[in-house]
This record gives sequence, C-alpha cells and structure tokens, in this order.
Amino acid sequence: MTSAEKPDFKVVGTRPIRPDGVEKVTGRARYGADTHPPGLAYAQILRSPHAHARIVSVDLSEAEKSPGVLAVATHSDLPAAEDKTEAVGEGAVNIKELSELILASEKVLFAGHGIAAVAAQTQNQADDAVAKIKVEYELLPAVLDVRDAMRDDAPILDESRRTKELGGETSDRPSNIASHSQFAAGDVEAGFAEADLIVERAFTTKMVHQGYIEPHSSTAMWNPDDTIAVWTSTQGPFAVRSQVAEILRRSLGSIRVTPMEIGGGFGGKMTIYLDAIAAVLSRKIGRPVKMSMSRRDVFEASGPTSGTAIRMKMGVKDGKITAAEASLTYEAGAFAGSSVGAGAMCMLAPYSIENIKLDTYDVVVNKPKTAAYRAPGAPAAAFASEQVIDEITKQLDVDPLQFRLQNSSREGTKMVTGMVFPTIGHEECVQAALDSPHYKTPIEGPNRGRGVASGFWFNGGMQSSVAASVNPDGSVNLTEGSPDIGGTRASLSMQLAESLGVSYEDIRPAVVDTDSIGHNDVTGGSRTTFASGLAVYEAGQAVVGQMKERAAKLWSVEADDVVYEEGVLKCLKDSTKEMTFKEMAAQSARTGGPIVGQASLNARGVGAAFATHIVDVEVDPDTGKTEILRYTAVQDAGKAVHPSYVEGQIQGGVAQGVGWALNEEYFYDEEGQLLNSSFLDYRMPTTLDLPMIDTIVLEVPNPGHPYGVRGVGEVPIIPPLAAVANAVADATGQRFTDLPMSPRRVVETLQELD
Amino acid sequence: MVVKVYVPSLFRALCGERSLIEVPAGTFDQVLRAVDDECSGFRDRLLENGELRPELAVAIDGEMVPLALHEPISDGSELAVVPAIGGG
Repeated sequence: MTSAEKPDFKVVGTRPIRPDGVEKVTGRARYGADTHPPGLAYAQILRSPHAHARIVSVDLSEAEKSPGVLAVATHSDLPAAEDKTEAVGEGAVNIKELSELILASEKVLFAGHGIAAVAAQTQNQADDAVAKIKVEYELLPAVLDVRDAMRDDAPILDESRRTKELGGETSDRPSNIASHSQFAAGDVEAGFAEADLIVERAFTTKMVHQGYIEPHSSTAMWNPDDTIAVWTSTQGPFAVRSQVAEILRRSLGSIRVTPMEIGGGFGGKMTIYLDAIAAVLSRKIGRPVKMSMSRRDVFEASGPTSGTAIRMKMGVKDGKITAAEASLTYEAGAFAGSSVGAGAMCMLAPYSIENIKLDTYDVVVNKPKTAAYRAPGAPAAAFASEQVIDEITKQLDVDPLQFRLQNSSREGTKMVTGMVFPTIGHEECVQAALDSPHYKTPIEGPNRGRGVASGFWFNGGMQSSVAASVNPDGSVNLTEGSPDIGGTRASLSMQLAESLGVSYEDIRPAVVDTDSIGHNDVTGGSRTTFASGLAVYEAGQAVVGQMKERAAKLWSVEADDVVYEEGVLKCLKDSTKEMTFKEMAAQSARTGGPIVGQASLNARGVGAAFATHIVDVEVDPDTGKTEILRYTAVQDAGKAVHPSYVEGQIQGGVAQGVGWALNEEYFYDEEGQLLNSSFLDYRMPTTLDLPMIDTIVLEVPNPGHPYGVRGVGEVPIIPPLAAVANAVADATGQRFTDLPMSPRRVVETLQELD
Repeated sequence: MVVKVYVPSLFRALCGERSLIEVPAGTFDQVLRAVDDECSGFRDRLLENGELRPELAVAIDGEMVPLALHEPISDGSELAVVPAIGGG
C-alpha cells in the first residue's frame, strides 16, 4: 500500500520500467568480472590461515617457477604508506592501515588476511601458484570477542595503538580499544532518580555480512604512460580512485575508474581490496590483470559489519522516558573504524529524551576489518534500545506504539548530539502503524507473538555532478557518476523528466567513468536519489533556462518574457508564439549549438528517515524455529520518486534484518577460523522464509528537496532485529538479548527455563 | 550576532562543564577561536593540519554539512561537532 500515487507530479511518483532492465534480464549487463581486455592475466591472493600470527618469512621461489606465472607481489611492492587519516570516498580511512589490509607486511591479523599475490596466464595457474608460496608463521593468541579484546590481559593486535578520544590519546600503553567517545545531554543521574521504573539489559550481536550476490572483482591496467585504468564492481568509483591514488601514490588525474554494473553492495563495496594490487601486478607484466574473490574470500576478507556488546538502561515516569544510558562496544575488525558512533547517534533518535549518556568503544579484534552495512551501526543499537522500550511497555502494561508516540521526537526535538530535528516523520510512522490493518488485527494462537520497533537514519547529502545533453530530436542523455544499485538510473531520470517537463522515456541515463563527469560521492548513505536528484533537478532547470534564452532571441523578446510550462515555451507578449521542448531542441544548432545543462553540488537539505515496523511470529518450542507470519513496514519516504523501488528497498531491508535477527552470524572456532564461509552454511533468508512484506509508504516532504525526497535505502534494516526479538518475547515470554535467535539458541534457552 | 556551539561531552571539562557556549558569529575558524578563548585546547583537538579532523563532522542547525574554516556561520545558527558518518 502506498500513499505515493498522488497526482502532484507528472513523472515523480509513477512506476515506469527501469532503463537498465532489459540488459539485466537478458544477461547482457556487464558486471565486475565481465571485463576482458586484450592480453588479460589473472591473479590470486594467498590468504592467511591464521587469525593472528607474525610473518617470519615468505618464500615465493616455487610460486615464481610455477607454470604460467607472470609476476608475484607482496606488501613490499606497495609504496610506503603514510600514517595519516584521509577522507576518501565517504568515510575516513587510515592510509597505512588500508595498505596493511590489502596485503599484510609483518603480521596477519585475521584468517583471510592477504599476504602475497600471483599473476598468471590463467586463473587456474594463479590458483596453483599461490598454493606453492611458503610462509613461516609465528602463531600468536587471537582475540575474537569484543569484550575479551578490552581486557587488560588481552592479546594486543597492534603494539603502537593507543586509545583515542576526540583528538587526544587517553591510554599510555597499547590497547585494542581504538577510540572512546561519549554523547551526553542533561542530567542522567537526576533522570534515573526521578524514574519510577528502570529497566537495564545487556545485549550482544554477532558479526554479519551484507551478503551481496556479486563477489568483488577488479581489473587494472597500468599503461606505459603511467596512467592506470581500473574496471571494478563498486559503490564509489571516485572513492576507489582516491584510495588507489593514496595507496600507489599517483595523482587522481592519472587514474580512470570505470564502474561496472554492481550485483549488490549495501555498504560493502567502497573499500579497495583488490584494485591496487591488481595495478601493481599489471605494472610488472605490462598487461591488464584481473582479481576476483571467491565467496569464501568475500566472507573472510571483505568487510562485514561489527559484532557488538551493548548495555542499555532506561528510566520512565508516568509513561515518559526520563533518562537513558548505554555503553556500546563495537568490533572494528582487524583495524580501527567501526560504525559505533553512528550507532550511538541513531540509538535513541526516535525519542525525545532530556537526559542521555552514551559511551562508545571502537575495538579491534582478529576478524576482518568491518565495512559499512546499510545504516551502519544503527540496527544493533536499536536491537538494544527498542527491546528495553518493549520491556518497559510490558511492565507498564501499555500499548508499545502508544508509548512510542507519547515519547516521539518531532520537529524541534534536540538529539543527544545537540542537533535539532527539522520536519521529520516519526510520529506519522507510529500513528500509521497504529492505524494499519495489521495492528488492528489481533494475533491469536499458541506460541505466537507480535513485536514493534522504530528506527532512525540520518541519510546523506554529499557531492554529485551530472550533465543533461539535449539531442536535436528532443531526447536527453543524462550523464551521471553514481553506480546504479537500487534503481537510481530510473529515479534520477524521473526527476530530470519532471524538471524538464518531458516524458520519462525521453531520458536516457548513463553511469560513466571517473574521467567523464565531475566528482560523485558513493552510491550509499541513502544519498543518491536525494543528492544526485537535486543535481539533475538543477541540470534540468539549466536546460530550461537556456531554452528560454534561445526562444527569446527567436521571438525578439527578453528572456523574462518567456515562460516554460509543461514542456512548452510560451511568449508572454504574443500568445501565438509557442514552441515545444522538442521543437526547441530541433533548433539547437541554429540557436547557439548543443544545449547541455550541468549541475555540481555538495547537497544540503538532507531529510532524515524514520520507520516503524510490526511483525507477527510463531515460535516452535520443539525445534526453536521462528516463522515470520506477517510483517508490515511503515516508512517516511518524503516523496517516493518510484514507489515500486521504495517498496523494494523496504522489503530488502526487512529481509536482511530478519536474517540478522534469526540466523546470520560469523561462526568462528576458538582459533579464529570462520566455519561458515559459504551461503550453504551462512544462512540468509530466502523467499521461502518470508511472507510478503507489506509496506506503508508515508510522504512527509523534505523541505530541502524540490520534490520532498528523503533517502529510503537504509532505515528499513534498523527496526527488524528488535521487532522480531520483541515478537519472540511476546510469543515465548522469554527476552532474547543475544543474536541470532537461531533455532538452537531458542531451544536451548527455552529448555533451560523448563 | 551569536552562534550557539554545542560542546561535545568529552570536551566539557575544557569548558567548565558547560554544554552550550555562545560566541560571536563569523567564519567557522573565528567561531572555533572564540570557543577556544573560553575552552583552551578546544580548537586544537578538532583540527588536524588546519582542517577539521576527517573522523569528525559539523552539524549546522541540525544538518551535517561540509564546512571549510573560511566559511561563514550565520547569526543564530547552532553548531555541533559529531563523529563523521558513513552510510551503506
């Protein structure tokens, strides 16, 4: 169900077919591994079997003699990296640590950590050769749990690491706690003293993977003129360019990155794992080199999201939250940089709470370096806060949605960071959930329960650059630099069509390489339809402006005497003079040449996203299996540009969140070996595991966008973990504070209770 | 002509435990220097090589914005320093 189909706009809000649909369904779309330049060589990386070890020696001699081998490379083939943090792509990256992540120099820090790479004539030859590399290790104790890693006697991953606090160091000895931060407002102690009910719980979540279908694949060619071409599957070709430039110490202008079609990313395809080393091998052999990850590589050596340990305490009086306090500890993986800060800032954002104190800890462990995953940090935080709220409502015997409504953030509410909300839609989401057919239908039957939860995500703005070139026949080529993951070719074309007053079918979008358009930040942060949408709107208006000026010349009037309405130029001084968009386009050669509208911006006016979800479950007490009976997701989209894609984003987020809640986890043995690095053993939900996920798309317009657009892609993954847990608690009477709520955990927990 | 600066929790010890400081409006750099006059060390801990540390971000009136030191902050604005956020 959607309220998006209002006749406000001609194109925005409709459901046209995506421009890239035919290529994708006919198998002609070219993804990362579909790059085959002439002379292509293939490469493979030797990865550590150990979670923590010192590299004593690496003997490449047998590998170098292996049939078909063209070149080998180790960390020493990368230029010495500076120990500096740079804003590359969307987030900050320490260049030295990124270099160490690509290939280890002295220590391996997780099972799967790359050590050496081999390029060969064929993939099989490269695979055979890496098996002949001899590495002598000095094994070190591994630390896998975030709480263990914080202990004083924990094995230290990096002896030079000291805990940082907002620009300063607070530890005088090595620590796995990379950073500590704190958010505080009001007087927490007074807030708890005032409360007549306090609930405190501890929660844990496991490391999980985005589970994108397409593995990482990059092909690089280091040309004789020292330019570098990269073809890769990425959410951010400009981010890849920046990282490759930093790692290889080349200029940005010497590197061209071509984004191939992308088979999913969800935040996991922004870091360069393969590109730089493929380029190094290419330089050695003078041929293009392709590197692709296996599914096992993807699990072991790309960037999953953090496992967490969160303690949450909340006090209430007369149905109002008086205070909240939490400690959030997130695994960063082998190198610093988890999303714990974002988690903390999102944790209580749906609610107006005067007294808050949140401590955050970013902790390194002997696991893969984490990466972004859809609303990074927020789902685990909401898993804690929304369960505590649920427990409070159960103890108070009040409706959980009414409680959320009573405590809801609204325009003017100040977040714990001091940021004040502009127009937001959380109250509307909760009210729509209350009014939904789902919530109005009682849940009945044994072992069944209902849960609700809300979520918040900031959404992003950042840099976008686009060009709209009008062809003489009136069609328009839209050139953009944001890889299309969730239908942005369509959503941007629709906004350009709306801006120009032409039909959607007249717009032909193309995602181009980094040489061919201005800088675009990543397709991520739920920013592209909003920020690149702003850019295409402005590009469209630039085209209209040029057309008005040309029409004015043709009609010998001032430009102000020409108006443009619904695709028609009209002369205010002579009503007989009109010209359609296509007629003006046909005149372009005779009126000054090509008509091209361009826009480049660093988008402001971001509209935050809220969601409220309802889920019904049935828990089998004998097998522990939790079945999702019914699921309804309410979300404020600001304006749903393409309602089908908004619904798809919501449904996809829910599916991933349900998998996170019920089954998914990185399952390690005590030595740090990942035991489930395949989709057979890493259990993601399939269509057989989920009912149709109902969506209610609300439209509380974002005043910062001409069509009211808010980002939609991330917030739907935030509520499901807690909503499902609350439903399981309702069904079983048992609060599950540790994820996943797998059948084994459910059975064992219920049996313990018996 | 003032800007309200929300002091991050870990900096409040520098600022006499105040969570909000009002300073004259001006460029971002002028605002930071004015805060630093009252909270010694504030500016140094936010900046690295003359720019805001890459792991930090600035929110003006509730929105995180890319802000260079020379850019003006208008009268009546509220400024908060927060961790930089990357989306998925």
